[in-house]
Amino acid sequence: MKRIPSLVLSATFVSLMASTAMASDYPTQAITVIVPYGAGGGGDTVARIVSDKLSDELGVTINVVNRPGAGGEIGISEMAAADADGYTLGVFGYPDNFVIESTREVDFNSDEDLVFLAQFDNMPMGIFAKPNAAYTNLDELQAYASENPGALIIGESGALGLLSALALADNLDVTLTDVRYGGGGDLLNALLGEHIDLASTSSMSHDPIVDAGGAPIAFAASERMEMFSDVPTLRELGHDQVMEVGRVIVAPAGVPDEVLERLTDALDAISTDEEMIATFANASLPYAYLGHEAVNEKIEASNAAFGAVIEAHADKF
Amino acid sequence: MEFLAFLPNLFALDVLGAVFVGVLIGILVGAVPGLNGAVGISLLLPLTFALPPEVGLLLLGGIYMGCMYGGSITAILINVPGDVVAAPAAMEGFPLTQQGRSKEALYYSIFSSMIGGVVGIMVLILFTPPLARFALQFGPAEMFFVAMSGLIIVGALSGSLWKAAFAVAFGLWLSTIGLDQISGADRFTFGERDLRSGISVVPVVLGLFCIAEMIGNIGKRASDLVQYTDQQITRREVLGEMTRHKTLLAKGSLIGTFIGLLPGVGTTLAVFMSYAEARRTSKNPEKFENGSVEGIMGAESANNATVGSSLVPLLALGVPGSPTTAIIAGALVVHGIILGPSLFVNRPDVAFVFLYGMLLTVVAMGLIGAFGIKYFAYILKIRMDFIIPTILVLALFGAYSLRNSLFDVMIAIGMGILGAIFKRVGVPPAPVVIGLVLGPMIETNLSRSIRISEARGMSLPEYMLSSSLGIGLLIGVLVLMGIVVQMRRRMAVVEEQVQASREGADR
Repeated sequence: MKRIPSLVLSATFVSLMASTAMASDYPTQAITVIVPYGAGGGGDTVARIVSDKLSDELGVTINVVNRPGAGGEIGISEMAAADADGYTLGVFGYPDNFVIESTREVDFNSDEDLVFLAQFDNMPMGIFAKPNAAYTNLDELQAYASENPGALIIGESGALGLLSALALADNLDVTLTDVRYGGGGDLLNALLGEHIDLASTSSMSHDPIVDAGGAPIAFAASERMEMFSDVPTLRELGHDQVMEVGRVIVAPAGVPDEVLERLTDALDAISTDEEMIATFANASLPYAYLGHEAVNEKIEASNAAFGAVIEAHADKF
Repeated sequence: MEFLAFLPNLFALDVLGAVFVGVLIGILVGAVPGLNGAVGISLLLPLTFALPPEVGLLLLGGIYMGCMYGGSITAILINVPGDVVAAPAAMEGFPLTQQGRSKEALYYSIFSSMIGGVVGIMVLILFTPPLARFALQFGPAEMFFVAMSGLIIVGALSGSLWKAAFAVAFGLWLSTIGLDQISGADRFTFGERDLRSGISVVPVVLGLFCIAEMIGNIGKRASDLVQYTDQQITRREVLGEMTRHKTLLAKGSLIGTFIGLLPGVGTTLAVFMSYAEARRTSKNPEKFENGSVEGIMGAESANNATVGSSLVPLLALGVPGSPTTAIIAGALVVHGIILGPSLFVNRPDVAFVFLYGMLLTVVAMGLIGAFGIKYFAYILKIRMDFIIPTILVLALFGAYSLRNSLFDVMIAIGMGILGAIFKRVGVPPAPVVIGLVLGPMIETNLSRSIRISEARGMSLPEYMLSSSLGIGLLIGVLVLMGIVVQMRRRMAVVEEQVQASREGADR
């Protein structure tokens, strides 16, 4: 049984009536963008910035609807189940969908139910040390952790935080004790209060941690970040660990070709908008646009990498 | 003084306008059952992207301040608290309304809210760095003790201890539904997707308090519900009485300020703690839950005091301490403002205008509250057959709006029916909410303590008492327990006296 909230329901009802109009006229009415997280977070911010521009480009209103719950599962399930007419889209942080469907029984299957239209930003996960730690770079950390197996406590929040922490321990060949936190704020509090030794969290936490005396050890990024060019990547330190959250925009699978084309063209068109790029920079969101084809290539490759880590630690999920 | 340079910015027209509009929206949003600060702020969040940062921030800050007070208006007048934090106001204020003293209750509420609000913001302005460091000392062990003290508070409410214990246990159980935060396992979800995201507090509050109250009102005659002849009382009389309770108000404000520092549960906990403290020290404990102005003063001063202090970790460290401050943090980030110690160096224009502007939100709240009371009271003139459907619709709308979820509406309705049953059999609703809020805090912090103690090679008690703060908090918990036991004895004595005098009068 699927419970479809009335907002989506009414949107689909209206769109059913409108679908008698030609798909080539698309769009003729307001579009709903589902965000599977609460208001105010990174994913929500990206959705709102993009919707604003996309709405100008397409000439219709775009309503952002937050549907948080169960780590994104609720909202993503709804995107997958929505009518494929182009009037319901979704924005979320990849690989939340992949981690959820590989670790639980869920009502959606990204490969079959979703079309990835584009990626807007790409935020790597980072490893940070608490203030006054005896280790402030990866070598020192590895040495300390090898001498004291299991003694170092790494806090993490969110699916990707855990994956990144597990992969780090594997790559360094050390034992860390992972402790889960409900949100990035709680995690930061624990690290800055020195209740835990390390934190596995996104690069967005860089400034508050460094300001309070903590140290960034490395980012699990494919290349150095422009904003924090002094922080090394795990890759250049010899560990092939790339863990990035890419905010993607998706449509339910089966949208008509004309609609898909109109959407991807519009997204490509706004992708070079300087005002929008500046807004991303202001919000400390690392802008990294990938169009329809590029984002699908990336996801295929990343799914394989994440899948391997999840499989190696099946007991943790 | 550095902030003097920014004084003209503070009294700019758009800043003052944002403060006033924000507070007004906050009061309205707070008064509507189910809409709380987090909802109000997230609705207006997109708007602030287009405003200058300090104006947008003060709009949000005004909503935060206003909604902490707004919930008390409907709580006092029609026994429908707009939010958990207004539950004590309903417990004490509604009996006063029934006695024809609604204006008095509303005056106590607004003035106490102002005092708490000012204290909280002053603390934010003056002591942010040391308090932020203090808040950081609360690790898993310390948070566990704080949460336990919150559970003990339940014992301070009157009525049967067993029924209260049942209510708390029920709340704790509700909090375990969904994905387990620590292990990621499903609990009591029966494979239902919606249950996986857990039972959120807002629909439960709406059901147990608002919907249950409305169900209870059905079939009652209007004359049973409220007395229209409201006694007149002047602001001066109320203020005069309040000066006799300086310590109570100071304690309420400080409890709100300190507990409000703690992330996650600060506000709810602070309000109930301060309320219990007011009750403990009251010379007229028999008036509690029967219309005690002291209860209103304790609870109301504490809830507005948490506004300032929950912003402390956000501004000083970039760590949001409540759902509402998390959204404010999101707004700051969009404006490219980096939170943390560098805020005052990099963007003093924003930081100082925001801080001192928050004081203006208290002023705006006071003006709207104190002069709006005669209009608020019109709610009492509305016939109950109009109020019931209106509140029900608003409550269901509020439950839906939180996560745009029809499932939450079902929860609210279910809890409403359950709440009506609870009312019948005398199970108090407040402990259910306390259990629901504290459950995850107790559980996650205990299991984190276990994991960390193992990694540190210590036994659990050894780890939990390894800091002096931990030891102090444990002692605090034990003392609190002693106090509650004593209170219950006193309450029993008072009840006997009341009983005896009633029997005497009957003869």
